[in-house]
Amino acid sequence: MAQCVQSVQELIPDSFVPCVAALCSDEAERLTRLNHLSFAELLKPFSRLTSEVHMRDPNNQLHVIKNLKIAVSNIITQPPQPGAIRKLLNDVVSGSQPAEGLVANVITAGDYDLNISATTPWFESYRETFLQSMPASDHEFLNHYLACMLVASSSEAEPVEQFSKLSQEQHRIQHNSDYSYPKWFIPNTLKYYVLLHDVSAGDEQRAESIYEEMKQKYGTQGCYLLKINSRTSNRASDEQIPDPWSQYLQKNSIQNQESYEDGPCTITSNKNSDSNLLSLDGLDNEVKVDGLPNNFRAHPLQLDSSSDPSNSIDGPDHVKFASSLHETKKANTGIIHGACLTLTDHDRIRQFIQEFTFRGLLPHIEKTIRQLNDQLISRKGLSRSLFSATKKWFSGSKVPEKGINELKNTSGLLYPPEAPELQIRKMADLCFLVQHYDLAYSCYHTAKKDFLNDQAMLYAAGALEMAAVSAFLQPGAPRPYPAHYMDTAIQTYRDICKNMVLAERCVLLSAEILKSQSKYSEAAALLIRLTSEDSDLRSALLLEQAAHCFINMKSPMVRKYAFHMILAGHRFSKAGQKKHALRCYCQAMQVYKGKGWSLAEDHINFTIGRQSYTLRQLDNAVSAFRHILINESKQSAAQQGAFLREYLYVYKNVSQLSPDGPLPQLPLPYINSSATRVFFGHDRRPADGEKQAATHVSLDQEYDSESSQQWRELEEQVVAVVNRGVIPTNFYPTQYCLNSYSDNSRFPLAVVEEPITVEVAFRNPLKVPLLLTDLSLLWKFQPKDSSGKDNEEVKELVTGEPVMIGTEVISEFLINSEESKVARLKLFPHHIGELHILGVVYNLGTIQGYMTVDGIGALPGCHTGKHSLSMSVRGRQDLEIQGPRLNNTKEEKTSIKYGPDRRLDPIITEEMPLLEVFFIHFPTGLLCGEIRKAYVEFVNVSKCPLTGLKVVSKRPEFFTFGGNTAVLTPLSPSASENCSAYKTVVTDSTSVCTALVSSASSVDFGIGIGSQPEVIPVPLPDAVLLPGASVQLPMWLRGPDEEGVHEINFLFYYESVQKQPKIRHRILRHTAVICTSRSLNIRATVCRSNSLEDEEGRGGNMLVFVDVENTNTSEAGVKEFHIVQVSSSSKHWKLQKSVNLSENKDAKLASREKGKFCFKAVRCREKEVATQFSEKYIFADIIFGNEQIISSASPCADFFYRSLSSELKKPQAQPSVHAEKQSVEDAVRLIQKCSEVDLNIVVLWKAYVVEDSKQLILEGQHHVILHTIGKEAFSCPQKQEPPEMELLKFFRPENTTVPLRPSVEQLSNLIKTSLHYPESFNHPFHQKSLCLVPVTLLLSNCSKADVDVIVDLRHKTTSPEALEIHGSFTWLGQTQYKLQLKSQEIHSLQLKACFVHTGVYNLGTPRVFAKLSDQVTVFETSQQNSMPALIIINNV
Amino acid sequence: MAVCVAVIAKENYPLYIRSSPTENELKFHYMVHTSLDVVDEKISAMGKALVDQRELYLGLLYPTEDHKVYPSYLLCRYGYVTNSKVKFVMVVDSSNTALRDNEIRSMFRKLHSSYTDVMCNPFYNPGDRIQSRAFDSMVTSMMVQVC
Repeated sequence: MAQCVQSVQELIPDSFVPCVAALCSDEAERLTRLNHLSFAELLKPFSRLTSEVHMRDPNNQLHVIKNLKIAVSNIITQPPQPGAIRKLLNDVVSGSQPAEGLVANVITAGDYDLNISATTPWFESYRETFLQSMPASDHEFLNHYLACMLVASSSEAEPVEQFSKLSQEQHRIQHNSDYSYPKWFIPNTLKYYVLLHDVSAGDEQRAESIYEEMKQKYGTQGCYLLKINSRTSNRASDEQIPDPWSQYLQKNSIQNQESYEDGPCTITSNKNSDSNLLSLDGLDNEVKVDGLPNNFRAHPLQLDSSSDPSNSIDGPDHVKFASSLHETKKANTGIIHGACLTLTDHDRIRQFIQEFTFRGLLPHIEKTIRQLNDQLISRKGLSRSLFSATKKWFSGSKVPEKGINELKNTSGLLYPPEAPELQIRKMADLCFLVQHYDLAYSCYHTAKKDFLNDQAMLYAAGALEMAAVSAFLQPGAPRPYPAHYMDTAIQTYRDICKNMVLAERCVLLSAEILKSQSKYSEAAALLIRLTSEDSDLRSALLLEQAAHCFINMKSPMVRKYAFHMILAGHRFSKAGQKKHALRCYCQAMQVYKGKGWSLAEDHINFTIGRQSYTLRQLDNAVSAFRHILINESKQSAAQQGAFLREYLYVYKNVSQLSPDGPLPQLPLPYINSSATRVFFGHDRRPADGEKQAATHVSLDQEYDSESSQQWRELEEQVVAVVNRGVIPTNFYPTQYCLNSYSDNSRFPLAVVEEPITVEVAFRNPLKVPLLLTDLSLLWKFQPKDSSGKDNEEVKELVTGEPVMIGTEVISEFLINSEESKVARLKLFPHHIGELHILGVVYNLGTIQGYMTVDGIGALPGCHTGKHSLSMSVRGRQDLEIQGPRLNNTKEEKTSIKYGPDRRLDPIITEEMPLLEVFFIHFPTGLLCGEIRKAYVEFVNVSKCPLTGLKVVSKRPEFFTFGGNTAVLTPLSPSASENCSAYKTVVTDSTSVCTALVSSASSVDFGIGIGSQPEVIPVPLPDAVLLPGASVQLPMWLRGPDEEGVHEINFLFYYESVQKQPKIRHRILRHTAVICTSRSLNIRATVCRSNSLEDEEGRGGNMLVFVDVENTNTSEAGVKEFHIVQVSSSSKHWKLQKSVNLSENKDAKLASREKGKFCFKAVRCREKEVATQFSEKYIFADIIFGNEQIISSASPCADFFYRSLSSELKKPQAQPSVHAEKQSVEDAVRLIQKCSEVDLNIVVLWKAYVVEDSKQLILEGQHHVILHTIGKEAFSCPQKQEPPEMELLKFFRPENTTVPLRPSVEQLSNLIKTSLHYPESFNHPFHQKSLCLVPVTLLLSNCSKADVDVIVDLRHKTTSPEALEIHGSFTWLGQTQYKLQLKSQEIHSLQLKACFVHTGVYNLGTPRVFAKLSDQVTVFETSQQNSMPALIIINNV
Repeated sequence: MAVCVAVIAKENYPLYIRSSPTENELKFHYMVHTSLDVVDEKISAMGKALVDQRELYLGLLYPTEDHKVYPSYLLCRYGYVTNSKVKFVMVVDSSNTALRDNEIRSMFRKLHSSYTDVMCNPFYNPGDRIQSRAFDSMVTSMMVQVC
């Protein structure tokens, strides 16, 4: 229960005060009317006595009465109607609202901080009005009239006559059975005669004389002369006189609704002109007809029962009522009450009341009490004994207070008004009224017993109630407050008597008392118990008070408070008290907000929204509804749909109120701002026919950090090449598509006339679909003068200026329930300047029959018809993107700071060239190594010429535009349809065995410029592409050597002819996807030829073995492969001829066939090698067909060089050089060098492919790069087995520098040995048993250093096989030679072998050891054994 | 049997709440929320004694017109967490007079052990809403099972 202004000790006595009736003559009424007051009202402010009053109680004890208040009211002959009371209470409550600027106190309970208004003035005024408007009932006398003032005016013709008339009237009202209503305390009511005298108008003498007359007639105690109206009302009111009436009258304005506007002259027609109480008029008139002018007006609350048939007060009616109340209130405040009264008059009235109380009322009460007491004592003696005797007789020794439940409904039992049982109650009431609570308590207690004995439950309950109250009010509180009395009383009132009004009074009093004793939970329980269905207003108020009780408890029960507030709010809204309802919900909201009780929270928000809306607090309504929608709602779809509709409806109303205001921010759908993507440029054109546009960048591509890194590297490479190897410091990679991953710290650059596409990610959190219409971007633009200097004032343009920026509008955008969807919105900048994209603007709406909509946009036309009917509001949502969190400096690390994100603030720059690239005949599938010719078309679609076109790719070996030397084969793609990709020359078949030699430099093929072989300039004719021009260039492609799907990225780089300060270059991306299938697998080895037939002289020759395997699976439709040519390419070596030319010249390979070729290679002549460092390669072709493919020309050489360079890129293990090991290094290098060759084999082939019953010939080439003698090289990289997982080592590997040593294999290649001997030797063994064969051992030094050689002819004895050899031979003569060979020197040793048997012998037994002569560290190493040298010894 | 079962976190937000007549969900939410006050009151009134006795069951909170609200106040004393003041509240149809105190107790015990299982799930983030199928089915069994 909230705190009250009054304490209980003040409240209760003020609620029960002696009632005095006032009966005025017409004339007297007229006098008071001059002040816009009735007589009763006139007295009201002065009805409290300022001084203490003394009274003697029946025992002649002096009793002090403090602060006595009396209530004077006009006699009302009709009991108030319950409906009218209800209406009055309603108005009182709705008229009392919390003050605007009221500072609520903050209550902290647990986690909750609540703002709660401590006072509830509406409840207090309700209570006051309720208690005042209690109809007088028969079972109690507290509000029965104790006395009657008879008022007449001195200006009347016959005042004394008038007094007697009034007296008769009073008597008639009291004793005539026609008037049942005004209840009188005792039959002989005190009559007090008051003569009103108008000082300003009347004759004072006459008044005095009349007063004298009255004194004689009624005694000095019974009459009074009251002088008022000391001044005329029309006098200038320069004198400010306090208006004590205003606070009383305003509060109860309804009660006193009278038309003051008519002024004092029309008192006679004084009628209740309030529109709601029209029915009163008739009644009034009736009374007047009766000859009794307006003295007893009907109770002003009286309503014709038909006008308010039920207790349900529906909204509009109520609103009207409230507004009328408001009007009257206003009218009232305009009127100055007591305009004719001076301060002296105020004092006079006060004096009058005092006089009346002291002289008239109190003595009367004293007398009555005494009388009653005497009566009681006399009766007590008799009845007490009688009663107790009978009771003892019947029910045993004890007088039990019978339980309520046993008692039958005895509310029907009524005592006659003069019944002796009621006398004690009367006395108790009188004592209570004069604050003699001790006596009152004992009387009530006695009365209670009596009533209970009689089972008069209503009476008993009344006595119980008052007994409890007076027990509480007893000074010094000798006994505890008997709460159970109250409980019993309430229960009786409610359950047995069915009198809710009395029960309510009881509860109000009891709760207040309990509250004063801090028994909050009991009070709350009481209050809650009385809430019932019959009165919403009462229930609401009581629930609210109960809620306040909960919060005021020692440990505040916040949740109970909130819950009861909600219940109260519900009842308030049912009672039509919208403002109070809203207030209750808002207070409860504080508890539920953000605590995870979403269902409850949604409900409250929804209610708040609705209430606010009906109260026209639209902003509150919008925010409340917004809350429901933006929180992740767990409501059902139907509920959400309802929420949304309400929200839209309210919103629409708001926006209609202020059509010119800024667009409201809409809460739905959600926008994932950080997922916003911005794309600069045109959309990609779809492939048309053979032409295939470059893929470039588009919003459809998912972000892939790996690929974006690749593109970035590519761009860096090309920029570095353009800037001569250095990347400029202000270089930033071009970004066409900005997303959350890209670097958005700088303002992006957009080119004028090129569209900007913004992709906004919407998400619909609701279970109902949302429809956005007229969706477009919202932007701000600062144009910049093309002259370069800014305008004086920066013009800022906002959306709606299509001259500068064109905006695309999406007419309909449907987001299904719980769907995430992106919308792409375009802007077309037509002017340079700074653009800021602020957000999106759209109409938000729902679909009425959304359940039937299955597919998204199945029939757009159908939708429009449906959608246009549904509600929609226009609003905006801003796009605010938070940048990445900064984490560089210490300050940034310790605090949370975010960088800027300028994704949406592009700078529109001047025109730039725009390139489009199309690929014609671009294959999707290739065989590995296949060469295919395609065409590229470059189109400049802008209005600027472009230049400096370059392309960069990670896989330069994949494509070529042809070398500089190449004769450009037919330019148009159509003409080249059936042509070979190669340049060929017809040869005569005679020269098949020998090689055709040509040479070419790698510089011609665009290789070897700088360290960036990936950057390839595009050979544009004139190097400039004019606006609108297009160029087609041939392009050869070679299928990558690995099988599978390859993604190859091309980055086209170009610049404008004029240098732009902001954008230096532009790029275009293309990703080609090529699927390759296996074709040939080529292995090649090279070894030294041991033969001596070296017509070329020294330098040595080698044998090259090439194994070709067709690894193609026939699925690709390849019938067979033909090897058409094998070419060599080297700086030092060349192929000379084919050694084992098989029968079929055209080497065919069917599926899974293998072929072997053997070629002889020789060292080039010195003069050819002369230009050793000019990167000139010697090409030698060996042809198997009748056409020579010029391998030194495009495209064959191109691809060769590219493969070479990609080979070179592979990291070669170059051990770090230590100074102290320099010499060793040198030696090692020497040794290595002698086993190195640099021979590259190019195998050119043709494949016959059957495709769609058509035979196609595909061409291709493979490269084998031979580095080392004796080591196999492959055309395609060998698959490496994944290295086995190594165990983790947890110790530091010792950093032992392994001494650099050449491998054994390398060392064994220092010396080439060859044995020369006859193949078969005939020897007559029978003649001579020993056969001597001369053998020449040729040792040639392959290295460029001096080599010490040891030749050991002795047989290895350790070898067990050697012993088993049946016929062994022996070398004769010197068995060990030690010699030194100079660089490249050939030395021959003459040896003799001795045989004793015929047979086949292996002569290859000499072991040769070699070491570099100037090296001590290197041990002699046995040299590579040559092949078995077999000799046949025949016996002749 | 039970018409509404709720698990409330220490900070008094619902970890799990389910009621059987779903159209009255809101009412049950309010009811459970309000009963937390009583739980708090009971805890503060005899908190110390409860801790000592390890008595988790609080008894009848308060009867409303048609339902009884039973709470259980939980003190999970495990080695690694202290005093996780998670509360269980059960709303029981009072027309079901067959329900004895002991049965309510056993229901709470079941609920507790099931809750413990949920907590043992390494993928459950303490403080999140409980979305365990096992827990759900256990609650369903408590709600459906008519005595």
